[in-house]
Amino acid sequence: MNKTVLAAIVVVIAMLGFTYVAVGSAGGMGGEGDWVNKLAVLGAVVLVIVTAFVVTKYVRQMQSDTAGGQLADENWDGIGEYKNELPFGWAVIFLGSIVWAMWYFLAGYPVNAYSQIGEYNDEVKAHDTKFEAQFAKMDDATLNAMGESVFIVQCAPCHGLQADGMDGKAANLHERIAEKSVKHIVMNGANNFKTDYAGGMPPMLLQDPAQVDAVAKYVASGFKADDAAGKAAYAAGTCNTCHGENGEGMPSVAPKINGWEAGMVATVLKDGKKGAIGAMPAFTNLTAVQTKALGAYVSSLSKK
Amino acid sequence: MFHWLEKNPFFFAVAVFVVIAFAGLIEILPNFAQASRPVIGTKPYTTLELAGRHVYIKNSCNACHSQLVRPFKSETDRYGHYSLSGEYAYDRPFLWGSKRTGPDLMRVGNYRTTDWHENHMKDPAAVVPGSIMPAYGWMFKNKADVDTAYAEQVTVNKVFKTPYNAELPMADGSKVKVALADSVEAARASALEEAKVIAADMKDQDVKDAVAKGEIPEIVALIAYLNSLK
Repeated sequence: MNKTVLAAIVVVIAMLGFTYVAVGSAGGMGGEGDWVNKLAVLGAVVLVIVTAFVVTKYVRQMQSDTAGGQLADENWDGIGEYKNELPFGWAVIFLGSIVWAMWYFLAGYPVNAYSQIGEYNDEVKAHDTKFEAQFAKMDDATLNAMGESVFIVQCAPCHGLQADGMDGKAANLHERIAEKSVKHIVMNGANNFKTDYAGGMPPMLLQDPAQVDAVAKYVASGFKADDAAGKAAYAAGTCNTCHGENGEGMPSVAPKINGWEAGMVATVLKDGKKGAIGAMPAFTNLTAVQTKALGAYVSSLSKK
Repeated sequence: MFHWLEKNPFFFAVAVFVVIAFAGLIEILPNFAQASRPVIGTKPYTTLELAGRHVYIKNSCNACHSQLVRPFKSETDRYGHYSLSGEYAYDRPFLWGSKRTGPDLMRVGNYRTTDWHENHMKDPAAVVPGSIMPAYGWMFKNKADVDTAYAEQVTVNKVFKTPYNAELPMADGSKVKVALADSVEAARASALEEAKVIAADMKDQDVKDAVAKGEIPEIVALIAYLNSLK
């Protein structure tokens, strides 16, 4: 027997021995273990045998082969070259690589095909399309539910989860306006909603502190008909000429002050607000549907 | 040339480095130079804002709060437009942060106000139920370091040519000029003017009194900084 073949057999046995020591019977060599392990071990065994076979073949070829074929004309310091055909598989891979390189350079390179911002834009577009389709027609319950979830994310940090303004840190949304705020506005005027009510409200329409108190109570408690003093003060301050007899407001002149409704909420979101309690930023990041939903939810709070 | 390089291993190594780095240099550097240019609407910090930034860094706000909105819908819904590198042009150092224990603050000035920050810094859990952020009571007593902020303004203006006293274009087409005071006294005075505007929106009587006396508590500077994050 040839020395090389003997060496190959010894190596194969040694490698299989190593494998057995490494994975043992649990690895599947003893018939145990799951099929993944068995497959892995089988693969290892095949790999070892194939390697030994191939190496033996070529080592033997090197030992016994003599050069043959037609020499090329060129000769460099006595070193010549046989005229061999290009191996077919190699030539195919070589030409294929050239074609692939052109494609990769011109079209396939990731920078041309992909960008993070492009993916983001696609994501937003897909979501918006789905959102619009899903919520094109909403019943009141869905609208309210959406409004509540928008409220929890966007509004609750200041107005509180209960929308009660968290002990005066922000407006209590269960009422349209607090007494304190009415007083502040009567004394200082207001020009919060520049887009919808460009004129603003002048300060000091009422001078007498008693009247200011009366009108504050009257407006904040919801225009009670039996509050004669409040009613008189409301008229004296000419509040009714802009805000209406019962605070229902007047389009592009003065906002509604007897309760919340979706349009009023949208106005506040558009321009933000600054008053007796503090400042509220404008929320221009909400979509039209979200604004509508939020309007429905907030106005539902004061109606309960 | 090549024969000369072959005989001088050091310069050969330098040449090799240049060859290897070449693609990187021509691809990365121009893009970097372009992307790090200030975005329209970005402006340098005023003295008080910079003092507030120092308070922010001193208290390690950046250990829990990032200032980097990534381009994912979930993030832009919550925090606003994703961050652009040019927006950090005047941040030295930038405060991207690496971990969000609290929310991102890149654009907090868009959706929180002075009075909210005041309530929140005094007692975070009172405004955000379940918040694990500690209260920062000492900021209402400690005084902000306006002088250091002014020194930084002068330095970045000299060394990095940060455009103070220059007209800068804003997103709405207007121009804004951030003034750099001529002297430290003038800087203190202008910081105090800014502080008065902030303090007018605050409720804490001690803070209001301090500002009226000409002192600037750290909280005022910090709020000025947070309001400037847009």
